[in-house]
Amino acid sequence: MRKQLRFTGVGGQGVLLAGEILARAYVRAGKYGVQVGTYTSQVRGGPTKVDIILDDEPILYPYAVDGEIDFMLSVADKSYQLFKDGVKEGGIIVYEPNLVYPSEDDKARWKMFPIEVITIAKEKVGNVITQSVVALAIATRMNNLDKDLVYETMIQTVPPKAVEVNKKAFELGYQEAEEVLAKYS
Amino acid sequence: MPREVVSTGNQLAAKAAIDAGCKFFGGYPITPSSEVAHEMSKLLPKVGGVFIQMEDEIGGIAVALGASMSGVKSMTNTSGPGISLKSEQIGLAFMAEIPLVITNVMRGGPSTGLPTRPQQGDILQAQAPTHGDYQSITLCAGSLDECYTEVVRAFNLAERFMTPVFVLLDETLGHMVGKAVLPDLEEVQKNIVNRRVYEGDPLTYEPYRVGADEPAILNPFFKGYRYHITGLHHGPTGFPTEDAKLSQELIDRLFNKILAHKDEIESYEEYMLDDADIMIIAYGSVSLAAKEAIKQLRDEGIKVGLFRPITLWPSPEEKIDELCNKFDKILVTEMNKGQYFKEIQRASGKKAHEFETLFKANGRPISPAEIKAKIKEMV
Repeated sequence: MRKQLRFTGVGGQGVLLAGEILARAYVRAGKYGVQVGTYTSQVRGGPTKVDIILDDEPILYPYAVDGEIDFMLSVADKSYQLFKDGVKEGGIIVYEPNLVYPSEDDKARWKMFPIEVITIAKEKVGNVITQSVVALAIATRMNNLDKDLVYETMIQTVPPKAVEVNKKAFELGYQEAEEVLAKYS
Repeated sequence: MPREVVSTGNQLAAKAAIDAGCKFFGGYPITPSSEVAHEMSKLLPKVGGVFIQMEDEIGGIAVALGASMSGVKSMTNTSGPGISLKSEQIGLAFMAEIPLVITNVMRGGPSTGLPTRPQQGDILQAQAPTHGDYQSITLCAGSLDECYTEVVRAFNLAERFMTPVFVLLDETLGHMVGKAVLPDLEEVQKNIVNRRVYEGDPLTYEPYRVGADEPAILNPFFKGYRYHITGLHHGPTGFPTEDAKLSQELIDRLFNKILAHKDEIESYEEYMLDDADIMIIAYGSVSLAAKEAIKQLRDEGIKVGLFRPITLWPSPEEKIDELCNKFDKILVTEMNKGQYFKEIQRASGKKAHEFETLFKANGRPISPAEIKAKIKEMV
């Protein structure tokens, strides 16, 4: 079955890595995964999106289809507002509540889960760069993807010296997603 | 055995260059092509090659040409604005017959345009990147797999025909991450083409004294075979000439060495055309959207197929002519204002109004939904 995911933020936040790991994980499992980013020529601050398509069948066109997106994670209001309409009715949106401000209408339209992605990375993991892997873990849980597969692929993909810190980031992100699911569902 | 990798198109282009025997890269970083250079800087030292980031685009191609003249397989890489800057040196490569692979990861243009967004605006630029008369060879990757295979092919064609060869990617293909299946490495290496070398008496060596449809035989510099190399019109020894006959023969040969061997260069894909009622013509990353649209339209019972040129220049003109005169309903779709459409009209002899078109030049990809909507208007 096809899953379409979108990570959105602003330039410089480094959300490309999470998408690449998901695509790699699916390919490792003998399936298909594609990731493609869209960004602006601003070095920092421009809205960015990363589309990830996961499928059992080969994927041709690499971009997610607006209106069919199953899951979106957003860590910047600018890009949240710009890209939210791509999420299908009843789809899942995870947002960083300190930086993204959904309306009450939004909360009725989609399954909205606030998770302090950046705070977790910065304060609990101790390195803001790990937010990409925190986001990866959240996406894995929220989409019921194979946790071990994604985790192993993450370890193989991140630089060797960053493995330990990213293991911590993954565990914390996954745990946070569990908790928020239990609380809001 | 075929090799399965997860990679971006840009990384695959670099990997292909290494597998094809490239030992020198000269260039200058430019979005969205920079990862080709990054990857080459990592890979080349491991195979005893040399990577140089020069002070600008012009320096980048100049050193790459110099390396090629000394017999080394050489590459430069850029995006549209970089081709504009390199154009004088590209002319030298055509004229002096210096093999070089030039990858262009296309972004929005003209000028600095839309640096981070895809476009196919450099199709006509690749056909005629510099002044004067010459015949370009331009290949266009339509998938991650082809970011690899077309770069390998470009190196082989450059050596075979002693000419610069362009490989066009676009931002989408260059930056997307996905699975690619690459041909067996031994198979790739078995089919490597190396330029001809003159092995006779150095005193009688005349690099440009070759058949009317054959490329020059340029021995590597510094090996005892002396000859002159110039952008001026030149005779058999390479020294400048203004002789009318020699001038005409030289320029004719720059065309004939390629056009007489088109069968070695031509490449295209026919996708689900056998039973189709409607034909789409698309290339590069747009063909991915076209194939997705075709799959969905066929599920709805609308029989559509795709013609995809892979070698854009010289164009597969006979095939375009045959197909365009077989199908009544044809949609041409490009991420530009219709640059290849001009060639399709020329090759087929059909007028613009006999086609449907879907052109977009705002740096946004053409989606399967847009193609489907257009096809449904044509049913």
